Amino acid sequence: MIESLLASALLLWTPLALAATGGLINRIGGIVNIGLEGHMLAGALAAALASGAASHWLAGVAAAAATGAGLGLLMSLPITRLGANPIVVGLGYNILIAGVAGYLLSKLFEVSGTLRVPGLDPLPRLDLPLVADVPVLGVLVSGKDPLFWLAVLLVPVVGLLLRHTRAGLRLRAAGAGARTARSLGLPATRIRDGSSLLAGLLAAVAGAQLSLGQVGLFHTEMVAGRGFIALAAFYFGRSRPWPTAAACLLFAGFDAGQARFQTGGGAAHLLQTLPYLVVAVVLAVTGIRESRRRTRRAG
Amino acid sequence: MSALLPGRLLPALAPILAALAVGALVLLATGDNPLTVYPLLLREAFGDLDRIAATLVATTPLLFTGLATAVTFRAGVFNVGAEGGFVLGGLATAVVGAHLTGLPGPLAILLALAAGTAAGTAAAAVPGWLRARWEVNEVVITLMVNFIALGLAGWLVTSFLQAEGVANSATPLVPPQAWLPVLLPPGLTVGVLIGLALLAGYAGWIRYSVPGYELRMTGHNPEFARAQGIRTGKVVLAAMLVSGAVAGLGGGVHTLGVVHRFVEGFSPGYGFTGIAVALLGRNGALGVTLGAVFFGAMSSAGATVQLFSDIPLDIVQVLTGAVMIFAVARWARSLDVTR
Repeated sequence: MIESLLASALLLWTPLALAATGGLINRIGGIVNIGLEGHMLAGALAAALASGAASHWLAGVAAAAATGAGLGLLMSLPITRLGANPIVVGLGYNILIAGVAGYLLSKLFEVSGTLRVPGLDPLPRLDLPLVADVPVLGVLVSGKDPLFWLAVLLVPVVGLLLRHTRAGLRLRAAGAGARTARSLGLPATRIRDGSSLLAGLLAAVAGAQLSLGQVGLFHTEMVAGRGFIALAAFYFGRSRPWPTAAACLLFAGFDAGQARFQTGGGAAHLLQTLPYLVVAVVLAVTGIRESRRRTRRAG
Repeated sequence: MSALLPGRLLPALAPILAALAVGALVLLATGDNPLTVYPLLLREAFGDLDRIAATLVATTPLLFTGLATAVTFRAGVFNVGAEGGFVLGGLATAVVGAHLTGLPGPLAILLALAAGTAAGTAAAAVPGWLRARWEVNEVVITLMVNFIALGLAGWLVTSFLQAEGVANSATPLVPPQAWLPVLLPPGLTVGVLIGLALLAGYAGWIRYSVPGYELRMTGHNPEFARAQGIRTGKVVLAAMLVSGAVAGLGGGVHTLGVVHRFVEGFSPGYGFTGIAVALLGRNGALGVTLGAVFFGAMSSAGATVQLFSDIPLDIVQVLTGAVMIFAVARWARSLDVTR
């Protein structure tokens, strides 16, 4: 019982962690990415189509990554070059991508909502022979898909990159203040675009995990707010990789629990709002604290 | 007349043209000719009286959510929470309306709409207070409020308010005497007049009243406003409360005019389209009205075009999203970013 709950929580953790890590990089670069939801949807569709066409899951993941990188850059340009508000651009982008996905589905494949791709190759499950039978540990590490391991690897790697490398320092400088960064000779705008590209790429790979790793088909509603949950996670984790990954695990746990203990549906609705509530409360508390500090300094 | 001068018209047209170009790309990519699709959309939106009525039906909710968003943008507050207010307003109106069976129609309508307005106001109160009193950034909080409101409404309906004998989660039907009177068949109700009256009131209020002046000054330059003795915190809170009230009333009008109950999927994103409406209309009353008609026309025309040709309705979503993206582009180099 606990083991299967844990297993499904970890399955649900992967897309959240991938998307949230992308969003975190983007936010450190100075852009709050509201478009993660759209990136995930685009990635899920690209992955399903490419995996079916090439009959190999890797082609699907690669297609998702390329699509996400391109779209991430495209979404960034109005923000960094035309001074557009990132929140509105992100909201508009989500609507736009959902529209394009629905349009393509009914126009090219003549289906609405669900697209079953013939020959779709799902993500493989990597069974670890000896550990698989160990209680708890077996569930934690055996039978996971490659993108799970990518996400697991990504958390410490991104943490190290951000803290200890030139690239991380430049990203933080570009995010902290574009003007200052530019006066230091950093191409701040290009760095920001780069962070958006990475966010798009990772969120689209997260989408690939949904279509190839969880259900084996594409559905226009399959992202179901996960992009916003990922946003909630990196806000909750205050843009630090480890706490963000932990927040993703918390939210994935809610999700798994809600699916398991569904009683009539009422409580499930409340449980679904928890991540959003948590973020609102965290933002309110930190905002009030900052405001107090400001007035104390001024007084 | 000044709204028609090229200097003001062009910035409003640019996002529409850019969005039509994006839509054209999507159409061309699948072998459709935008030069035949767009005129078809236009004809389906305004071709005859029936079509105009359908367009105005689709315009009505956007008048409210567009105005709700515009009021706060005008005060310099970035409220993206109209969707939540609309949903809670719709639910409150549906519940109260369904229980006022003994009252005469007009009174029941007034009370039900008052409940919707109150619910919308409540949804905006907390983020408004946080922003006004503590200068807490409202953007992400109001975005979250939308999801919280949706979940809350879903929980209330499935746990307590579910109509008997209905498969999906829906509240009981509001009795017909509390429905809004129909102006023009098939379904255009007086709701559209309520929305237009609010917008006219907004135009006068913002231009000629002292609070309207204070609102504009607060949005334009808060420090200067404070130096003039305007209590900007109060103005911001008032703008948020008015915004919530308008969004909630919009939900109520949608309940009593169109849906007659609250169901899952009550709002197909009217609050979010309202952001596009406000941006496109540059937060002015006339602009919001035209923006709402524009999006209303697209969605009503999109629905019929889907019926009679093989152009999917989703093209409307593509255009809506693209308008939002291009409406906030300043077409000038700038780097301030909301964090």
